[in-house]
Amino acid sequence: MPQPCTVVIFGASGDLTYRKLIPALYNIAADGDLPAALSVVGFARREKTDEGFRQELREAVGKFSRQGLNAELWESFEDRIFYHRSEFSDLEGYQRLAERLEELDQDRNTQGNRLFYLSVAPSEFGGILEKLAAVGLNKAKEGSWARVIVEKPFGTDLPSAESLNQVVNDVFREKDTYRIDHYLGKETAQNIMVLRFANSIFEPLWNHRYIDHIQITAAEPLGVEARGPYYESSGALRDMVQNHLLQLLCLVAMEPPTDLTADSVRDEKVKVVRALRAMTPEDVAHDVVRGQYAAGSINGKEVLAYRAEDRVDPQSMTETYVALKVHVDNWRWADVPFYVRVGKRLPKGGTEIAIQFKNAPGVLFNKDTSAVGPNVLVIRIQPDEGISLRIQAKRPGASLRVEPVKMDFHYGTSFGKASPEAYERLLLDAMSGDATLFARRDEVEGAWKFIDLIEQAWHQNPKPPALCPYPAGSWGPPEADALLERDGRAWRRM
Amino acid sequence: MSATIDSAALGIPVELGQIGRELKKLWERDGGVSTRASLINFAVYGEGAGSMDANTQLLMELTRHHACRALLVGYAPEPPQPQIRAWINAHCHLSRAGAKQICCEQISFLFEGDTSRRIANILFSNLDSDLPLYLWWQGEFPEPIDDQLWAWVDRLIFDSQSWQNPKAQFALLKESIRRSRSRLILCDLNWTRSLHIRQAIAQMFDHAENLAMLRELETVSILHAPGYETTALLLAGWLAGQLRLQLQERADATLCFQSPEGNKIAFQLHPTDGRSISRCELRSRTSSLRVERDSDGDFFRVEVHLPGDRIYHHLLPAGSNSTASLLLEEIGGGGRHRVYLKALGIAESLL
Repeated sequence: MPQPCTVVIFGASGDLTYRKLIPALYNIAADGDLPAALSVVGFARREKTDEGFRQELREAVGKFSRQGLNAELWESFEDRIFYHRSEFSDLEGYQRLAERLEELDQDRNTQGNRLFYLSVAPSEFGGILEKLAAVGLNKAKEGSWARVIVEKPFGTDLPSAESLNQVVNDVFREKDTYRIDHYLGKETAQNIMVLRFANSIFEPLWNHRYIDHIQITAAEPLGVEARGPYYESSGALRDMVQNHLLQLLCLVAMEPPTDLTADSVRDEKVKVVRALRAMTPEDVAHDVVRGQYAAGSINGKEVLAYRAEDRVDPQSMTETYVALKVHVDNWRWADVPFYVRVGKRLPKGGTEIAIQFKNAPGVLFNKDTSAVGPNVLVIRIQPDEGISLRIQAKRPGASLRVEPVKMDFHYGTSFGKASPEAYERLLLDAMSGDATLFARRDEVEGAWKFIDLIEQAWHQNPKPPALCPYPAGSWGPPEADALLERDGRAWRRM
Repeated sequence: MSATIDSAALGIPVELGQIGRELKKLWERDGGVSTRASLINFAVYGEGAGSMDANTQLLMELTRHHACRALLVGYAPEPPQPQIRAWINAHCHLSRAGAKQICCEQISFLFEGDTSRRIANILFSNLDSDLPLYLWWQGEFPEPIDDQLWAWVDRLIFDSQSWQNPKAQFALLKESIRRSRSRLILCDLNWTRSLHIRQAIAQMFDHAENLAMLRELETVSILHAPGYETTALLLAGWLAGQLRLQLQERADATLCFQSPEGNKIAFQLHPTDGRSISRCELRSRTSSLRVERDSDGDFFRVEVHLPGDRIYHHLLPAGSNSTASLLLEEIGGGGRHRVYLKALGIAESLL
């Protein structure tokens, strides 16, 4: 159980508060894991009363909470929620906030512990943090703590990430800074380490001797929806690969940490980031495919091309799909490619990691086992979190016919309870001071260093690689299939 | 106006984008009483809304023997308004031990109006991941075929007996597969139909003494039901291919081959009421083999005449030629069907 504290959400009138943060806190309370003295203060520009804010949140929890809304529980929960109206740039507003937090410490016994959640655009970070420091809220009293949670994007390239990190670290120490990547809060992402290091059967095989290659896929049928302007400035590579997918890659590729403290785990992840083979412009042209969805159909409905979406440049060169072949240059992963793909408007949604093992020698069965396929261990991050293992089995009967069968583990059904939402786990960890599932500064900057080389090859090259169109509802451009075909491999079927 | 179907048999209507979620709910409601099982994705494509009820019945029977995720696709081009509807269902059967219900999912889609080009995407987005995809295509292949269909198909099942123009259909299919660079395996139920008679014939030549008959073979006569000429041609193609015979000429129902030793062998095909293949007889100057199906029985009566007036009789299983049996044979069989492709090569030249 974390210590009592006050959670201050900057940008409290935004979508994230209603869809994720408050439902997550409510669910933690419903599970009995929230300290009784916890308070929540929403900080935003819009005029609102405590009552009005609570009423809006009640509706949001009813809609977005995985456990639904229990009226009795909500009544006790909403007493802890307050609204604080202020401009982000108004120092006086922060002074009032400091006074209000003092009052809450007295009234609700929150003991001077503060967790500041910056659910705002990165451009607002500097101003908010500066004001927090100006009124002394970045410093905790003796025996208390003050922490900050920063939402992605952590910059748009290495220089901006360094600058942003500097802004944050000027005000909060790195150990009190929690960079949230919600993928790391997902149950299956956390289970990667357990799967690898708590089972003796996998780790001995987890290297170049037995693994042929690894595929990491994040597919979604949605288009850019209302996020056209944001997406135009980011694209799939920055939006998904730099953070979520490289984090997953690190969990799969890292060496066992010496213990489970935050820094031990993050030290090992950083080593993977550093081992990513830097790409030359020629490598980018050869090993990276960028695509953009054209008009097509998803689930039987016609959908627009990316360039026809709301507030998107009709000549846009922004990628909505990326497939890349990544090498981790260390002993464990020598010559084992990691194929990473992410895309919008793909036929099916899901994030999965597939460990594809080398084929067994087929000589015993006088046939090529590649015809039936290799062993594949699939870690499903979302939806339907779980793990499956494809093995070969003999079909019953007189003849020797080998067929693939799948052993499947579903979190939902095996443990008889739904997995907590990623934000529940991450908020609890931040309140408890456990930063294991949060990205450290050097991880973020290392990832940008790798990604920047690709971005530069695309945007600062007189002859940039082509942007390949793909119809919405397909599994990406044919060039992405060719990326694996030329290595004698294929994307797995999701 | 939408096509009329018995949606009760198809199960719960669901939104296309919610199929995965609804299936999950279905199993959660079950509370672990049943075991969900799947070895393959088995997709069935049929034309007309009416095909969906019959295919659901068939899938119920198939899932009793072979665990799969069944994906039923009905295509009804007539309604002017394009519409795609979906249902989910489960076929549950008691395990052999009788203690546990084994259940297979069925996802049904009805594509109405001008929606055929969406079939591949929707089908492929609802597969049980990492399992092979078998596609049973009922009836004729349309021209042009959506080559994308073959992208993920491992085994394509069809019945060349039902085609009006088999020569054109084979050419269309092969060209489409070539264009798509697919490595799918062709599985012709018309070939499966002759499985038991081929096994019965081959089995007789496990005896070394009988092999002399093949070396001196003079005539082969095949009795087939009207409408089953392609079945008979595939059987003839198999015999010719396995014996390395070369086609010389075709005169009406007589096919003239030459053996590697230079012997002339005449194959005669006789349309006769009865089973698809009711009899196959191989004759040499001194011996003969006759495999004949009982008119209403489940066995082949086999009679072997050898020099010295020696006659042997055997009774061998003839299997069933019901669609469900043929499909089960095909799903449970496997292999790359190299012998079929050899037989098909010869049969195609006779079409």
